[in-house]
Amino acid sequence: MEHPHAAKILAGFKLNWMNMSDAHTGEVLWTDDAWENLTAEREAHIPARILKCRAVSREVNFSSRELLESLKLVQRVLLDGKCMEEWFFDFGFVIPNSTNTWQQTIEAAPSSQMLPASVLNGNVVIETSFFDRDLLVCKAKTRIWYDE
Amino acid sequence: MGLLTLLRALKQNDQEYRVLMLGLDNSGKTTALKQLAGEDVAHITPTQGFNIKSVQTEGFKLNVWDIGGQKSIRPYWKNYYDATDGLIYMIDSADRNRAEETAEELAILLDEEKLDGVTVLLFANKQDLITAMPPEELMSALKLTSQRGRKIIMQPCSAKTGDGLQEGLKQLLDVINAAKASGK
Repeated sequence: MEHPHAAKILAGFKLNWMNMSDAHTGEVLWTDDAWENLTAEREAHIPARILKCRAVSREVNFSSRELLESLKLVQRVLLDGKCMEEWFFDFGFVIPNSTNTWQQTIEAAPSSQMLPASVLNGNVVIETSFFDRDLLVCKAKTRIWYDE
Repeated sequence: MGLLTLLRALKQNDQEYRVLMLGLDNSGKTTALKQLAGEDVAHITPTQGFNIKSVQTEGFKLNVWDIGGQKSIRPYWKNYYDATDGLIYMIDSADRNRAEETAEELAILLDEEKLDGVTVLLFANKQDLITAMPPEELMSALKLTSQRGRKIIMQPCSAKTGDGLQEGLKQLLDVINAAKASGK
C-alpha cells in the first residue's frame, strides 16, 4: 500500500532530466529529459567512448512542490542485477516549489580494471532512488547500452 | 576539470568538504560554479532551489552548494548552514544600487551562530565590467567590522570569463584544509 505522505510528495515530484558528461571537456554524452512515468525502466544509448573518459559527471535535475525535510538520494550501478557501485547523497532540506540540480563527478577506475563495452552492453542498470528520511519517494531505473 | 584538479592538489584523504555559496540574485553564483567545472555558461537561468556539485577523488570529497539568491528564497538559506566548512559570498561589483542590500545580507550571515568561525571567501564578481567597483571600494561598501577569529578572503573575479575563480577557491580550500589538519 502506498504511504499517503509519499504519494503527496510523489505527486509534486518531477525528475526533469538526467545527463552524463565527460568531466574533463564538459561535453554532454547523454541526456534524457522526458521522465513522465518514473516507475517504468528506461533505456539509454551512450557513446562507448564514455568508458574511456578519465572522469565522468552524472547530473540529475528535479523539482518538488512539497517542502522536504530530509531528502536523500541513492544511486546504484547494477551489473546483471549485482551492485557494482553505490553512491549516497544527503540533500537535507528541499525548498517548496523548487527546482534543484545535483551533479556528481567521479574519477574512473584505471583502464585495466574497466570492463569492455561488450560485457556491459545492456547488462548495466543505473537505479536512482529518492527518499524523504526513510520514505521512498521514487525509484528510476535506466538500462545502459554502449553504442560504438 | 577545474574542481577535480583543485581537489587533487590538496592531497588529503577521507575528508569531506562542504562549501556553501550564497549571495544576492544575479550575482553570478551558478555561472561561477559552472565555469569552475569547465561547463558552458551561455544559458543560465535564475536558480529556484539549489545546484550542487560533488567532486570525488581518492576518497576525498568536495560538495559545493549554490543556493538561489532571490528574496523569496533567502529565508531558506538557514536550512543549509549545518556542517559548513567554507562560505563563498558572491557579489555583483557593478551593481552599486544594491551594494547596501548585499552588505546587509552578508552582515546577517556573519552574525549567524551556525556559521561562527567559518572562513569566508568574498568573490568581487563582474570585474570584467568597467563599472565594477574595485575590491578596495567594495570592501569599504561592505562595512565589515572586526571579525573575531574569522578569516575573510577577498578575491576579484569574473564568473563570465573565469578570471580569479580558481585562485579564490584554492585559497579557501587551503585555509579549510589547514584548519582541519590542526584539528580545529
